[in-house]
Amino acid sequence: MNAPTDRDLILQARRGDAEAYGDLVTRHQTSVFNVCYRILHNRADAEDLAQETFIRALDRLHTFDIEREFSPWIRRVAANLCLNHIEAQKPSAPLDEERDEDKTQGPSEQVEVKERSEQIRSALASLPPHYRIVVELRHYQELSYDEIASELNIPLSDVKSHLFRARKLLAEKLHAPD
Amino acid sequence: MHLTNEQLNEYLDNASTERAEIETHLDSCDECAARLSALQALFTDLDSLPDVELSTNLAARFSPRPSLTPQLPRWLTLTATLQAAAALVALIVAIPFFSIMIPQIETPSFTTWLFELQSLWTSWLDTLSTFQLPITQFPNLPAYPVELSTLFIALSIVSIFWIFGNGLLLRNHRHS
Ligand SMILES: [Zn+2]
Repeated sequence: MNAPTDRDLILQARRGDAEAYGDLVTRHQTSVFNVCYRILHNRADAEDLAQETFIRALDRLHTFDIEREFSPWIRRVAANLCLNHIEAQKPSAPLDEERDEDKTQGPSEQVEVKERSEQIRSALASLPPHYRIVVELRHYQELSYDEIASELNIPLSDVKSHLFRARKLLAEKLHAPD
Repeated sequence: MHLTNEQLNEYLDNASTERAEIETHLDSCDECAARLSALQALFTDLDSLPDVELSTNLAARFSPRPSLTPQLPRWLTLTATLQAAAALVALIVAIPFFSIMIPQIETPSFTTWLFELQSLWTSWLDTLSTFQLPITQFPNLPAYPVELSTLFIALSIVSIFWIFGNGLLLRNHRHS
C-alpha cells in the first residue's frame, strides 16, 4: 500500500478525520516551522506561529483548491501570519536579547557552519518586516515578483525595491570586510 | 554605461527581459562582473541556511492518539455498568418502603426544618470557635497556637489548589 498523498489526507481531513490532518501536520511541520523561524528568529515564537498556521489552515481547508500543492500554500500562510505577528508587536520593538543564539557546541567545523548560519539569521532578523518577508518569499519559497506582489497585496515596484534594498543591507552585514 | 543594480538583481532572479544585452556587457566589463558575483555570493549564503529541527511535535495537538488515552479493560467497564444498573433497580425497589415510612415520621414544616438546620449550624460554629487544641495532654510538645481563621484560610487555599490541580489534570487529559 502506498503512503497517502497530501491530497488524500486533505480529503480525509475535510471529512473530519483528525488523524489524517495530524499526518499532514507531521509531514509539513518542519518546513512551516523553518519559515517562521527565519522570519521571527525566535524559537518559541516560531513554534507558536507554526501551530497557529496549522490551526488557520484547518479552518480554511474546505476552501483550499485541492488541485494545488499543499506545501507552497501552507508556507505562504505561515509567512503572512508571521508578518502580521511582527507588525502587531512593532510598537514594543523586538528585543535583540530575546532572539535565539544557538549555543550548541560541536566539532569546530560544525561550529563555523553554525556561526555563519547565525550571522545570516541575525542579518535577516535585522531587516524591516516587509523586507524580511519579501526575502523569505523570493529566496526560500521561490515565488516570482508577480506572485509576491499578489500574495502581499503590494505593487510590483514595491516588491522589487524591498527585495533589492534588503539584499543590499544583507550584503553589507554579511560581506563587510573584517 | 554600467549595469544598474536593478538589472543585476533581475538578471539573477531570472526576471530580466534583456538577458542577452546584460551578458554582452558582463563579458566586457570586469567591474559589473564583480558586482554580479558579489550578489551571487549573497544568494549562495542565503541558500546555505540549514533547516532547524522542531523541539515539539505540532501534530500531537491535531491528531488524537488512541494509544495514549488509557482504555479501561472491558471487564471493568462491564462491571461498572452492571453496578450502576443494580443500584438503579435497588433505588426503584426502595421507593415504596420510603413512601410507607415517610408519613410515619413527624414532618415539621419546611421553615421550622430550615430554622433547626440553621441553629444546628450556628451551634456547631460555636463549638468550633471555642475549641482548644488539647495541648495539655502532650506536655512534651511545644504550644502551637492555631487561630481558627488561619486554619480556615489554609483549608480554603488547599481546596483551591486541589480544584485547580484537578482541573489541570483533566485539561491535559482531554488534550492528549
Ligand atoms: Zn559595467
